[in-house]
Amino acid sequence: MTRFQAAEWKLLTDLIQDRFGLTFDGVRCEILESRLEPRLRELHLGSLSDYYRFLRFHPEGDAELGRLTPLITNNETYFFREAHHFDILVRRIVPDLRSALRTRPLRILSAACSSGEEPYSIVIALQNGGLELAGVRWEIDACDLNPERVAQARRGLYDAGSLRACDGEARRRYFRESGGRFELRERYRTGVRFFEANLLAPNGSFGWGSYDAIFCRNMLIYFGEEAFDGVIGLFARSLAPGGYLLLGHSESLLDRATELLPVSFGTGVVYRKRLSD
Amino acid sequence: MSPTSERPSVAIRIAALDALPEGEERQPAILAALEEAAPAVRERAIRLAARYVEPAVLGELVADDTNAARRNGAIAALERQGPYALPQLQSMLGLENLDVAMFALQVLARIGDPAPTAAILPLLRHPNLNVAQSAIEALGQLRSREAVPALLGLLRGELWLQLAAIDALGAIGDPRAVGPLVELVPDSVVAEPALESLQRLAAPESLEPLLACLVIVRERSLLDALLLAVGVVIDLHPDPAPAAARLRDELALGHGDALLPYLEQVLNGTAASGDLLRAAAALTVVAGLEALLPLVLHRIADPEGAPWAEALFRRHPDALRGSLDRLLGDADARIRRGALLAAGFGPDDLPTLVNLLGDPEAPVRAAACRALGSTGAEAVAPLLAERLRSGEPIERAAAVQGLALLPPAALGELEPCLAPGAAEEVTIRALEVLGLRPHAAFEARILELAGSRSTALRRAALRAVAQIGGSRADVTLVRALADRSRPVQLEALELLVRRGGERTAVTLSALLSAGDSLRYHVIRALGHLRAEGAAGKLRALYPECGPHERLEIVSALIRIAPRDLAEFLRARLEEPEAELRRIATGGLAELADPAQLPLLLTLAEDADWNVRNEAARGLGLLGLPACRPPLLTLVRDVEPVVARTARKALDALPSVAIPA
Repeated sequence: MTRFQAAEWKLLTDLIQDRFGLTFDGVRCEILESRLEPRLRELHLGSLSDYYRFLRFHPEGDAELGRLTPLITNNETYFFREAHHFDILVRRIVPDLRSALRTRPLRILSAACSSGEEPYSIVIALQNGGLELAGVRWEIDACDLNPERVAQARRGLYDAGSLRACDGEARRRYFRESGGRFELRERYRTGVRFFEANLLAPNGSFGWGSYDAIFCRNMLIYFGEEAFDGVIGLFARSLAPGGYLLLGHSESLLDRATELLPVSFGTGVVYRKRLSD
Repeated sequence: MSPTSERPSVAIRIAALDALPEGEERQPAILAALEEAAPAVRERAIRLAARYVEPAVLGELVADDTNAARRNGAIAALERQGPYALPQLQSMLGLENLDVAMFALQVLARIGDPAPTAAILPLLRHPNLNVAQSAIEALGQLRSREAVPALLGLLRGELWLQLAAIDALGAIGDPRAVGPLVELVPDSVVAEPALESLQRLAAPESLEPLLACLVIVRERSLLDALLLAVGVVIDLHPDPAPAAARLRDELALGHGDALLPYLEQVLNGTAASGDLLRAAAALTVVAGLEALLPLVLHRIADPEGAPWAEALFRRHPDALRGSLDRLLGDADARIRRGALLAAGFGPDDLPTLVNLLGDPEAPVRAAACRALGSTGAEAVAPLLAERLRSGEPIERAAAVQGLALLPPAALGELEPCLAPGAAEEVTIRALEVLGLRPHAAFEARILELAGSRSTALRRAALRAVAQIGGSRADVTLVRALADRSRPVQLEALELLVRRGGERTAVTLSALLSAGDSLRYHVIRALGHLRAEGAAGKLRALYPECGPHERLEIVSALIRIAPRDLAEFLRARLEEPEAELRRIATGGLAELADPAQLPLLLTLAEDADWNVRNEAARGLGLLGLPACRPPLLTLVRDVEPVVARTARKALDALPSVAIPA
């Protein structure tokens, strides 16, 4: 149940979809409402339509949109979430690139990386796969809309919840415990570069044909149709020929028209850009 | 290129549907899109079908059992057409194709308009079980009291119809169903559904028989269903105590030996649903089951608290009386704290309560502070003031609550807390008390503290100032509008609005000429104050303002509602800014003035969904027969929010019979 009117929800969520591409259904609206209530009180605003007008017309509206970002983004993530993807990366994707990787680094994008658990999990997987010893270098670009999350990712300091899929051995090996929190050891940060980015920014690009693999998991489910198509188009442009896109388990391109083709690796379906036109 | 890449994207397919021009090709294109594989495109096609395809056409698709995708789409579209589709749906009830009749019943039930009730009633006895069951379900969802006698007749019939009838009787909520439903408990295969319906009925007369069943039933799932029903009935019963006391007597005689262990398990359990836990607590409290009371008190004493359980004891104040001394002396601190929070106390309890101020556990001492305050005894003020100064944080907060319950004369004890040199936190706590319970002796000091260097002190002092009458307090609050801290400014503004009064309105009106960032909030405040005297100044200011202030001026004037508001709003409709048109339409809607009907009819066809939505709201507020046709169009609006608003507006209009 929400105390706000359906029309004012639509005003606000349409604005959020327009600016950030994110859609909100019933349950997510309830979560959003609980996150927005304190902010409305701080601004002395009584309704969502007041807030919507503040965002759109008040001179401080743009700054407020920046503050809205952490409230609307889903920060739920943890180390080794959907771990079979890291296995696919190490055992299936990288071996195909071995000859190319003698002269250049492996390039990966972790899109909507939140507080960094995903890109760091990739580094750990690459290290554990012995790729460093084999002379493979990597560059992992990791971006998120939320500046606070990006800052947190750079710190590499986590609560136990982020380590829920790590056993005791993994905790000791990859982290240094300090005051009930877990700091990622330096060697597992190699090659990761964090930055803020809105995947829906007009004419957004990560560099045409740059990446061997893009991880974007459990974010597209929150995107409206247009945003979904836009982001997939961006990923398709940003992947190198033959590059892979790895989506979350509840996300699929199977009923969509894209230039990315499904490939089954037994443990999961990923999507691949054609090698050449 | 891969074969899939030749197909336009989902977004493009949706845009193409939206762009379909009026004409012969639109309908076939919409109907074809009902078969789309992509859910988002199908959803858009359903919206457009609801808007542009006549119910008769959709009815034909429902009858076409060779195309399930179109049939499903047509059913969804008919449902969204709501009252507009009623005549068609009603006509489908008589068709030979029984699937069509069944689908029509299901759609009518979801639409929820009672108009077709008379046409559905004969179908309760339809020879086809699916149709009869759908008719029962529909009448239940329509809450048709006329159907109750016939539904009662089905309670001993075919099992599926029996189940549907039980559920429908629960949904209808007619007390005539209580006796027949109780007869199905506990010894029938439909006992649990019958209990669910009794729970929904929540009839007081069901309490006694339900409690009687509780004593004899042993099966866990049935006990849960019984307890849930009992919990709701107790909650809504004007006086459940006599029936509950009879249950206690039964238990004392050794009957129902399984009940107490079961209740204990529920009250102790973490797995029990919130409803079950509350029901067990309600029964425990109302029946005065002493052995189980500590378990309810545990819940109250939990760090997250249980306001529902405290309310239970407030509603039944005698529940703890007999065992209070024992509970307050219990070895378990949670029981002591729970009892302090749950029980009512008077002057006779002071020695016990004062004694508990020395309890080794801070949460117990804090609860004792609140309990002491609740006695209203002036003598406890020094004790509470001492806790406010030197207690642990939880005691300090409780001391504020306790002190605020005392008569003002007792608050002189706060003097050392407000004196210069007192710790800032203590002074803030004391100001919190005075913000809840004003005391004339401290007015000068409070006004002085409103000028403190500390922002936190100033904010707390302003809240206390707002409780003081007279012009000095007004002046202090008005001065705070120019405070160097924005949060203090806004706090002062909000406090002024809460104080209300003509003088505040005049002061705020004067601030309109200052073009600073506070003006936005001042405009809003004048609206909330409904400051009629400010209307002229707001209107005059309008052309000079930026868009954010213009929007707030229009909103404020709608709240103030000056005599010439309609004219002002009509002028806003001519402005290019869509948001102004939206707010102006909302204002015109709220006028509920028949003179605005022609304009609302025009706005009901506006390209902007929000304008149509406000027009639908306005047409509903007008409530004129002439509003029905445009609302029947808006109820099929492609934008679901508009359709829902129109539906709500239509529901408020007098019902119109459906032609046979």
